[in-house]
Amino acid sequence: MKIMHCPLNGPRNISEFVHGGEVKAMPDPANCTDHDWADYVFYTDNKAGVVVEWWLHAPSSYWFIAERHTVTDDIIRTYDPSEVFKQRVEFSTESDVSTEAGQMKLKGVGA
Amino acid sequence: MSAISPESFLKRSAVYRNLTGARFKEMAGSAIVAANNNGSDKATRSGLLDLSTLPRVGYRGGNAASFLETVDLPVPSKPNQFLQASGGELVLRLSPQEFWVLSALRDEGENIEALRRRQLPTSDCYSLYCQDSHAWLVMTGEHLPQTLAKVCGVDLSDEAFPVGAIAQTSVARINVIVVHHEVNNIPCFSLLCDSAAAEYLWDCLLDAMGEFGGEAVGIECLVQNLSGKN
Repeated sequence: MKIMHCPLNGPRNISEFVHGGEVKAMPDPANCTDHDWADYVFYTDNKAGVVVEWWLHAPSSYWFIAERHTVTDDIIRTYDPSEVFKQRVEFSTESDVSTEAGQMKLKGVGA
Repeated sequence: MSAISPESFLKRSAVYRNLTGARFKEMAGSAIVAANNNGSDKATRSGLLDLSTLPRVGYRGGNAASFLETVDLPVPSKPNQFLQASGGELVLRLSPQEFWVLSALRDEGENIEALRRRQLPTSDCYSLYCQDSHAWLVMTGEHLPQTLAKVCGVDLSDEAFPVGAIAQTSVARINVIVVHHEVNNIPCFSLLCDSAAAEYLWDCLLDAMGEFGGEAVGIECLVQNLSGKN
């Protein structure tokens, strides 16, 4: 069994982990174009080489970041997301415009 | 025939159908197996107990550790460790910012119910739902590491997994939190798994324990003179 090193739980069988896609910068959901958002949500670089990816250790519901070589499938490094993401992303104010209530507010309906 | 049965209560464990024939005791508004036609020697050797209906509560967030300190509960210094409170509760640290508190056996979870009523900090501390979502099974006895080695890939021997340690891993192919503790000097592994998979895990564990003469036991094998109606 292939072993992956979880930053929280230590070495575990690879069957305990779930791949979560590439780590990439999120565009501002309130102001970006539909194309930019679709690119962020649906498309991946699918690079041959070292990629930075989200992985989940399912038994502890712990998300972390792994650097993996997609050609050799070697896992080079795993680390806690706090190394990259220093503060919490808040959606409360911007995301309001994407909800039905928010859209109605923008259009002046029900005011 | 026991006067008290799981069907007497609306609050039931996910594995109550597997507990037929046992003598039950009323604890925390539910029926817990008091004895199962075997003695404490069985628990010392290899036993399996269901404590799913005993209260537990979880907290997550940057202020969760300080909240637990304000309610006089001990806070483990590192993830995947637990500390036992003076009342007997187990405080599990599952990640830097996530804690579960498991009920003591003696007080039927009264301290946990009191904890649930406490006001949470206004920011960055959230209560977690871990009562009905999870089953709480307890394996007991001297053959714990050998038994779990049959269904789990992680080394749970005493050297690698001493009392006080927690392993969040896969047991019999389902996600389980394994807690190594002791009750009255009897070694115990508490296993917290998805309640939907509890019956499956119960059968897997009994099957693995069969080699060591393992059987379902009652809570009186671990703790004598419990309060609660028989």
